[in-house]
Amino acid sequence: MRREVLPFFASLAALALAALAADGLLHAFDLLWIGRWLGIPGTLLIIGSTVYSLRKRKVIRLSQPARLLRWHEALAWAGSLLVLVHAGVHFNAILGWLAVWAMLINVGSGLTGKFLLARAHRRMEAARLSLRERGLGEAELASRLYWDSMTFDMVKQWRVVHLPITLAFTVLAIAHIVAIMLFWGWN
Amino acid sequence: MKKRPVLLIVIALNLIGLVALVFAYPHLMVSPGPLVKGHAELATDCFACHAPLRGASSSRCVECHAVPDIGLRTTLGVLIAAQTIKGSFHQELIEQDCMACHSDHQGPKLTQRSRKPFSHALLNVPVRERCTSCHEAPVDTMHRSAKAECSQCHVNTAWKPATLEHDRFFVFDRHHRTECDTCHRNGDYSRYTCYGCHEHSQAKVRAEHLEEGIRNFENCVECHRDPRAEPSKEGGGDRERRRRD
Repeated sequence: MRREVLPFFASLAALALAALAADGLLHAFDLLWIGRWLGIPGTLLIIGSTVYSLRKRKVIRLSQPARLLRWHEALAWAGSLLVLVHAGVHFNAILGWLAVWAMLINVGSGLTGKFLLARAHRRMEAARLSLRERGLGEAELASRLYWDSMTFDMVKQWRVVHLPITLAFTVLAIAHIVAIMLFWGWN
Repeated sequence: MKKRPVLLIVIALNLIGLVALVFAYPHLMVSPGPLVKGHAELATDCFACHAPLRGASSSRCVECHAVPDIGLRTTLGVLIAAQTIKGSFHQELIEQDCMACHSDHQGPKLTQRSRKPFSHALLNVPVRERCTSCHEAPVDTMHRSAKAECSQCHVNTAWKPATLEHDRFFVFDRHHRTECDTCHRNGDYSRYTCYGCHEHSQAKVRAEHLEEGIRNFENCVECHRDPRAEPSKEGGGDRERRRRD
């Protein structure tokens, strides 16, 4: 519980609190225009975070997936923070709100995957050590570990969910960006 | 894994539906807030004001709201019977930048008003300095005969507080409620005279002061700032600016 559920909620709570604090500061110092522009760096960070997804699917071949995964987590979290501050607590266009909710569900999904993976790693290693100590042969060990490897399968299953959520977020975010491009006066 | 294409198709259809809603209900899906009452009928016609990739611009506004007609005729050309203050200043702005004051979407609700406050700084200098081009001159006792510029006492952010505190120079008691011109001849507020009424003839004032041994009695309010109180040397007045005739 302390090692799995709490960090999950701590990450989400930190995101919400950091966004509220930043938004509060912008309001307090009458710097709302900054929030208006934070959508751009936020989106760029999130796009940057997808380098991991491309590496994972072998679209690109640079760097180590494990290292890119850390970057994926950090960049997506930071990008989401900027987008949340950008959205503020303003109930305006529905499309923007749908994009924000899709992003938050995506972040929640990402954090779920992160802790599913961490838990699977820990359980596999603990099981392997404990079975080895009992002097089990490799064949028996493989059989016993089968059920634990199902935990890894859970991670795979989760990825099936994470991708469509990301797809929904991507489409809604693009729709919002296109709408802004069309209607916003940039001069 | 076989379910995946089905899942993706369902999600894709939902997303297509959502995007379709953007076109069907743009005022709800992409508008940052409802339009002002006068533009309510344009709510679903975003491109009536917004040019693609360039946003809303003053040139679009004046296509309907011809600047010479603002406040005088409606956009349909109907004469506005009661002359509004709009007609007095929209034609006299230093710059025709509609969006500097008007944001027709009423939102974001928590942070913005749809109309930014009017600023006199936006007016052409001659109109800015001629207050009566928009404002009616007050007709109370104090202002009726005033000939000075309004800005001598008032700032253009608000009528009150006026900067002139007459008590600093002279207190009006019940014997001194009179026209400004009685003391400030010809609307010249840089000077005053106390010889404007029968009580204070030059000879009488001179005789009374000399009798008391007072030779310096040229600036009356120096000692007589408050006619209800005994004369005092701290009577006041700005000797440099407010000389007595």
